[in-house]
Amino acid sequence: MPEKTAGLVQGTLDMLILKTLALEPMHGYGIALRIEQISRGVFQVNAGSLFPAFRRLERDGLVASEWRPTENNRHAKYYRLTELGKKKLKAETREWQTQIAAITRILEA
Amino acid sequence: MAILRKLVSGLKVLFRPEVAEKEMDDELTDYFEEAVAAKVRSGANPEQARREVRLEMGNMDSVKHEVRSAGWEFFVETLLRDVHYGLRMIRRSPAFASLSILAIAVGIGANTAIFSLVYGVLLSPLPYPDSKRLVAVGLHQRGESGIHTLGVADFLAWGDQQRSFEHVAVFSAGSGSFALSGLGTPETIPGITVSADFFSTLGVSPVLGRGFLPGEDRPQSPLVAVISEQFWRDHLGSDPNVLNRSITLDGSPHTIVGVMPAQFRFPASKPLDVWAIRRFPPPQGRPPYGLLAFGRLKPGVTQQTAQAELDASAARVTQQFPTSPELVSTIVPLKQWMVRRVSTALLILLGAISLVLLIAVVNVANLLLARASVRRSEIALRLALGASRARVICQLLTESVLLSSIGGIVGLLLAFGSLKAFLAFGPGNMPRLEDVGINGAVLLFTFAVCVGSGIVFGLAPALEASRGSVNHPLRAAKGSSASYGARRTHNALIVSEVALALLLMIGSGLLIRSFLRLRDVDPGFRPDHLMTAVISLPRSYSTEPQIRAFWKEFLAKVESMPGVSAAGISMSVPPNQLAITNPFTVEGQGYDRNRKLQLAEEMAVSPDYFRALGIPLVRGRWFSESDKVEEEKDPMIVVINETMAKQYFNGQDPVGKRIQTGDPNPQSPWETIIGVVGDVKYQGLNAAPQPTLYVPYNENGWTPWSWQMYLVVRTPLEPKSIVPGLRTQLASINKDLPLSQVQTMDQLIEDSVVQERFRTWLVSGFAGLALLLAVIGIYAVISYSVAQQTREIGVRIALGATAGDVSKMVLGHGLRLATAGIAIGLISALGVTRILRSMLYSTSSTDLLSFVLTSAVLLGVALLACYIPALRAARVDPIVALRYE
Repeated sequence: MPEKTAGLVQGTLDMLILKTLALEPMHGYGIALRIEQISRGVFQVNAGSLFPAFRRLERDGLVASEWRPTENNRHAKYYRLTELGKKKLKAETREWQTQIAAITRILEA
Repeated sequence: MAILRKLVSGLKVLFRPEVAEKEMDDELTDYFEEAVAAKVRSGANPEQARREVRLEMGNMDSVKHEVRSAGWEFFVETLLRDVHYGLRMIRRSPAFASLSILAIAVGIGANTAIFSLVYGVLLSPLPYPDSKRLVAVGLHQRGESGIHTLGVADFLAWGDQQRSFEHVAVFSAGSGSFALSGLGTPETIPGITVSADFFSTLGVSPVLGRGFLPGEDRPQSPLVAVISEQFWRDHLGSDPNVLNRSITLDGSPHTIVGVMPAQFRFPASKPLDVWAIRRFPPPQGRPPYGLLAFGRLKPGVTQQTAQAELDASAARVTQQFPTSPELVSTIVPLKQWMVRRVSTALLILLGAISLVLLIAVVNVANLLLARASVRRSEIALRLALGASRARVICQLLTESVLLSSIGGIVGLLLAFGSLKAFLAFGPGNMPRLEDVGINGAVLLFTFAVCVGSGIVFGLAPALEASRGSVNHPLRAAKGSSASYGARRTHNALIVSEVALALLLMIGSGLLIRSFLRLRDVDPGFRPDHLMTAVISLPRSYSTEPQIRAFWKEFLAKVESMPGVSAAGISMSVPPNQLAITNPFTVEGQGYDRNRKLQLAEEMAVSPDYFRALGIPLVRGRWFSESDKVEEEKDPMIVVINETMAKQYFNGQDPVGKRIQTGDPNPQSPWETIIGVVGDVKYQGLNAAPQPTLYVPYNENGWTPWSWQMYLVVRTPLEPKSIVPGLRTQLASINKDLPLSQVQTMDQLIEDSVVQERFRTWLVSGFAGLALLLAVIGIYAVISYSVAQQTREIGVRIALGATAGDVSKMVLGHGLRLATAGIAIGLISALGVTRILRSMLYSTSSTDLLSFVLTSAVLLGVALLACYIPALRAARVDPIVALRYE
């Protein structure tokens, strides 16, 4: 299947996940759906990159997970942002904005 | 903290894989169900939704694989699996595995042993605190270099005035010994005299008692000594009250103030028994220069500063003794000075042995390459099933590193053994042997070499095996000849193996030739049937008449012994036991004190010394018992050697001419030359001939120097058989006198070339090993290619080729490879053997004979190795060969 996330800059998926989780704890599919919706379909996240990213973030202590019931009465693994993750998100966002501003300036110059 | 978390979660996966797998399955299933539910909500029918989601998510197993490979534990898992698989492959082909492991074990073992020598002697810091600040210090004339000895005046001036060092110290140069009496049979023990700060400069402390105190080396201080732990045990029964006990050294009682630990050996390479204090009375002149100096620099002080300071103090001493030459200083790190004689040889040995390892590595690469083509079908299958090429290469490399590690472990055992043998039987006169061992640094080296060689010999085969299309090898796995690329790699490896082996063989050829020439050197006398020993008179022989009387009586008794044809005494004996050198001035030369000192080997001898050694008389006469030399008014006489006659008398007869000795000074007494004798080697068989001066031992001024003399006795009998007689004669004069260092002259000569012999043997051993490995390599590759070409050979024979044609073809292949290797080896040897130059005695580093002979041997052996496969090829039965599939 065509990989639309190939357009994602390396490392941005992690940031998008963190941002999505900043609102509320979510399970895997919820996160994928949310990223797709908010980006209005520009980013389609597939499971092959999403789950390794979860494992990475969890190992780094940026997110934590627990199993709890979903609204459809099933058990799902919910991810939530840790304090470390919040800090990381803030730093990443700032860094990202600086870079975008710089790139924009260059492109418009 | 973060690392800990990663470690814990990784370990969980490693040890409870089923839990992690279950959780991952659950999560993915849940994801799937959620996605389907979402699609159903937006109107799709459930069947349709399931199919779409399955398509979107892709292969579940590959998703799981992605997740698994995100953690570090994945790497460990893969490695463990590869190691497990590698072990299985090794077990499955024991012949191949044991051959490669053996080759690697020998290579790594020898490398480890040599490296532990290099590390212990050259690389590891000296075992003293802050040893980087320790330096050796020497004074010499401008234009000379290296660490030279200095005299008492220079030491005292420097010690008083210097500000750059925390401590400075000196010790007596030369291989020191003391006559020990009063503890059972008198004997000679190894020991030196040192200044008071000797131990504090090094920063070492005794296991018992103390070192010397500042000022203990002043002229009137009582005599004190520090002994070794071994001497304490062997001679004093580890007496706990040993401190303040007195021992008699060279006839003077010394009070023991400390016991040094067994591993302390400075400055000698052999263990010393005693360090006695040396007292420094105000010097009458600048020479003799008999002290070796060292110091501990203050932190932050550079060698240049210290050197400038020493230069200044030497200049003041020159003013104090106006006839003495201007001296300048050299300072080098103490370690560098200690290992100066062995560092080149050790590094060359390390280079040679790494060539052997390289050949072993090439050999194993060849074996692996041959197997790689056998394993192509297995690997093709893996590639077809989706393994990446990198993954396959990794797995093959794991296998080869596994091989080299097993080889390394076996090699480590070999290294332990050979190092033990070396320390027991090798040349004991190598400095710092006590610091040699298999330690952490050596193990690290071995580990690095293991992994490195595993990767090196595994890389080419791994690349070769994983190369090419997936389809082709699966189809043509059986019966086909090796690919062109593989054959080319084989050939290149063999050529380099031959070249490397030739390089080593030429090196060893040069060393052997040099060693043979060294052994053939004319020492200037007849060394057979000569017994030598040392006799040291104690201080109780305090006056000149006493010393003269003793030698006269003793020599008369020895010469009257049955079986003794001549006996003499001398301060120095060949081939390398030179005690002193002395500057001299020939009459009419003038007294420019900045002229480079003309140094002569000078020694006091008895008249029969020349006859006993068999030194030929060239002109004039030898000394005689009737020469009147004992009084101050008597004219002084000397005998010189041919080199001095040639260099300083312009072809005139030197007999009757006069010289002065000591620093150039018009006031020095004149000495008349009465004879010229042949050159004798006193500074090693490989030393160029030097001017030599002989003076009568009983001459006025020389007798006090004659308290310690070598005895040389010529006998038509077996030399050792006269030793008991010598001891009896000695005891009949003084029962407290030891006859020490009893050795035949043949033994002295053997001992003088022990280092040369040792490294010649070692390098030749390496070269033999290299030859063996190269031959095995050639044999294996030629056999392998014959086996691969069986079908082709069968066709040739069927088409009318004779057995001769076929074996010619196979031999031709081997010959081409060997010749190419030899050509490359010869060219590189021309460049490389230059580094051997300092170790070669009258042998050019491009010695034609060594080059030609070794090449011929290598070529012959290589052809021999090809002969067996060639015979096998000639016997191929075309029918069997064509049915081979």
